[in-house]
Amino acid sequence: MSTLLREAAFLLRQRSAIVGVLILTLLATLATGLGLAEVARQQDSIARAVALQAIDEAAVARFVEDGGSAAYYSFHVAADAPSNLAFAALGQRDLAPFIMRIRALALEGQLYENESTNPEVALPGRFDFAFVLFYLAPLLLIALLHDLVSGEREAGRWTLLQSAPRSRGLWGARVLVRALIVFAALGVPLCAGAMLSGAAPTGVLAALGVVALTVVFWTAVSLAVARSGWRSAVNATSLAAIWFGLTLVAPSAAHLVVNAIVPMPQGAELLRANREAVHAGWDLPQDATMQRFFVTHPEWSDTPALRQPFHWKWYFAFQQLGDEHVARQSQEYRDGIARREALARTAGWVLPPLGLQQALHRLAGTDGTAQLAYQQRVREFHARLREFYYPYMFNEQPFRNTDFGLAPRFDTGAGSSRASGQP
Amino acid sequence: MKRAILVARGELTLLLRSRVAALGLGTLLALSAIAAATSYAHMAGERSVRSAQQQATDDLFAAQPARHPHRVVHYGSFAHRPLGVLAAFDPGVDRYTGTTLYLEGHRQNAAAFGAARESSGLIRFGELTPAFVLQVLTPLLLVFMGFPMVARERENGSLVPLRALGVQPGELLLGKALALAALAALAMLPTVAALAAASLLAPTEAIGAGMIALAYALYLLVWVVLIVAVSGLCHRSRTALVTLVAVWAGMTIVVPRLAADIASRTAPQPSRIENDLALQTDLRRIGDSHDPNDPFFADFRRRTLQQFGVARIEDLPLNYRGLVSLEGEALTSRLFVQYALKTMGIQRRQVTLMDRFAVLSPALAARRVSMAAAGTDLENHWRFLQQAEAFRFDMVQRLNRLHAEAVDFADDSARSRDAASERRSRVGAGNWAAIPDFRFVPDTPAGRLAAAGNSFGMLLAWLCLALALGGLAARRMRAEGP
Repeated sequence: MSTLLREAAFLLRQRSAIVGVLILTLLATLATGLGLAEVARQQDSIARAVALQAIDEAAVARFVEDGGSAAYYSFHVAADAPSNLAFAALGQRDLAPFIMRIRALALEGQLYENESTNPEVALPGRFDFAFVLFYLAPLLLIALLHDLVSGEREAGRWTLLQSAPRSRGLWGARVLVRALIVFAALGVPLCAGAMLSGAAPTGVLAALGVVALTVVFWTAVSLAVARSGWRSAVNATSLAAIWFGLTLVAPSAAHLVVNAIVPMPQGAELLRANREAVHAGWDLPQDATMQRFFVTHPEWSDTPALRQPFHWKWYFAFQQLGDEHVARQSQEYRDGIARREALARTAGWVLPPLGLQQALHRLAGTDGTAQLAYQQRVREFHARLREFYYPYMFNEQPFRNTDFGLAPRFDTGAGSSRASGQP
Repeated sequence: MKRAILVARGELTLLLRSRVAALGLGTLLALSAIAAATSYAHMAGERSVRSAQQQATDDLFAAQPARHPHRVVHYGSFAHRPLGVLAAFDPGVDRYTGTTLYLEGHRQNAAAFGAARESSGLIRFGELTPAFVLQVLTPLLLVFMGFPMVARERENGSLVPLRALGVQPGELLLGKALALAALAALAMLPTVAALAAASLLAPTEAIGAGMIALAYALYLLVWVVLIVAVSGLCHRSRTALVTLVAVWAGMTIVVPRLAADIASRTAPQPSRIENDLALQTDLRRIGDSHDPNDPFFADFRRRTLQQFGVARIEDLPLNYRGLVSLEGEALTSRLFVQYALKTMGIQRRQVTLMDRFAVLSPALAARRVSMAAAGTDLENHWRFLQQAEAFRFDMVQRLNRLHAEAVDFADDSARSRDAASERRSRVGAGNWAAIPDFRFVPDTPAGRLAAAGNSFGMLLAWLCLALALGGLAARRMRAEGP
């Protein structure tokens, strides 16, 4: 213990080390603050959208006459609230929308629009806790540890230290103090942020585990190089090059490889095929459309026959047939993204810094898998909307104003912590 | 000068003999070649896919059967975001904008799909493109090569004998800078070759390519001078290295992200859905076409009847429903343009704020020139969005005019109930090919670069700052001298 305290005192006397630790603490705090502010913005944005949607609903209620027009004109807000750990790793939530407005019409055309974020703001990536942890903390560890051996040798104290009793304990304490200080500089702001956002203790512990593993990994790499017997400058150059390769070059190379292995189907083709199938509904004989619809939806086949060129149930039948027409294409598109995600995770096993970063985003529920899960929940919600509106059209049940209140609501998952990793 | 060249030659000989330097330079050239080749192949593929998509969209539109024009308004069209030749050098915002924009009546959609949403989280680490290699990778390599250049001489105690030989500190620094600049030039070689090839293939892009080369040459020169100056100011080469790596991380990694986050907090942009909903509310305030007693549309009906001198809408020479569609679309489109301008204003403010951070990082200035010249910046994206909206409005109004002129009002009113009226309310298939296709008109190179002027100024200011630092180092060395 006394060795630890002495080493801590030594470190505190090194002005450059203190400046480095202070800068990291400051940046981690700033990043946590910016992350919390961004999460608050997303929550406000959802609250405002829900309030505005209520106004929209009231306006629609004034003119709809039947279930068909209610289904046609009513939008339903489907928002994906940020998890309690989202502040630490904002992930892809700036690009893919976290609020959608969904109608009971053909779904495929409603799912793929991007959020209208400023693309130049999205380009460099977010300044969040994950960034400080995975990009900057390793650099500080390298700066603190690269001259562990060579610094003493260059100062002429090496032989003396080696001959001292319990010299092994000295090196261990020296390394431990440095790693612990970096861990604290990161862990304290993270815990403060987690407390402010009310994250569940298990999630915070898991996130702290990611922080600890990151610190351990870079400490181990720095030590491996520091023990090599080269000069300090050579150590620092090698370590900076390793950091650069693992953090910047390898992931972008992995990106190229993953995208080459899994080509994506063209989204535009999916949208066009969906549009063709839906709009062809207007040009095909009504009976043929209804018969095709009844094949997959026999529960509506006993409903009254069509007597005029337009009926809402016919209209919604060909909307749904349009979705079914591209079901395979749509599944292939999603599978492509999921396969790319899976391959990227495999790359994460090979490249520990990448794997740890993915783990933190997984915990925060802000990665591509979380996006896919949200989209899946929107699909299920859309199916419930169809179930809700169809009886009004197919059974010609009257739609009263009070029926708007019976429509399904999307569970935004607000206040939940997705810390356990489930979507 | 002669002595400076001798110093440079000596330094280069030393570097060429060092295995580490050769390895570093070899890695850089290899990465640079991989980046150029993959980026070129990817972008060439993307360009041809998008133009094929546009062709397929246009063909489908023209081949529609006889339809009611309002059906076609809802059928709509797609605009596929095209790419310029230089996008292969710097894809800029392309991965983040979405590629496919659905254009239909009554609605203004956002672009869908795009590489960022299809590429797992890996894309957020940055992409291995020639621009990334020059902005981020090359400066770090120059740091690795250059940090000991002067500090080593001091550590070895060879500064004094050099002075005795008549080498002035200024000449020494200049010589070291020349040697490092030669390495930087070598690192830029693959890029310059690729840019030259692009200019030969598309001569109109030559100015842009030249500007990109010039901006990166200036940017790397800033780094060269900065590195030699810091090496001259530090007493130990290790201090020089740690300082330079910190400066590098700050300038190329931290400041760009921090700038983006601060800009988006300072000028917050509402989410797309909030905007849509606010627009709907505004729209209802002006006129609600669903409300038969709406004052705006009641007034429109009165004005129309008056204009044609008839008492009932049935007696109008044109289909009143088509006229209402024309008026309604004009109304909504005015709001679309208004809201888009508001969003554009916010995003431009964010970019202006981000550009100010170039005071802290020359990388931002270099990136600005590079994206502007490649036509992959925010401005070019807005140009696409605005042209697509203008096209959408024109397409919808042509269809609405067809609705007003070619569809009989009585048939139009009865088409939901009567099959014969429904049939008569369709207009011939020959009409669709007459609607023009969407073609994006990119800005001229001069127009694209107008906004980049400030960034060139910023790069020059950085060069002056680096030179001043070099001057300071030379003065210190003179003071230390014998």
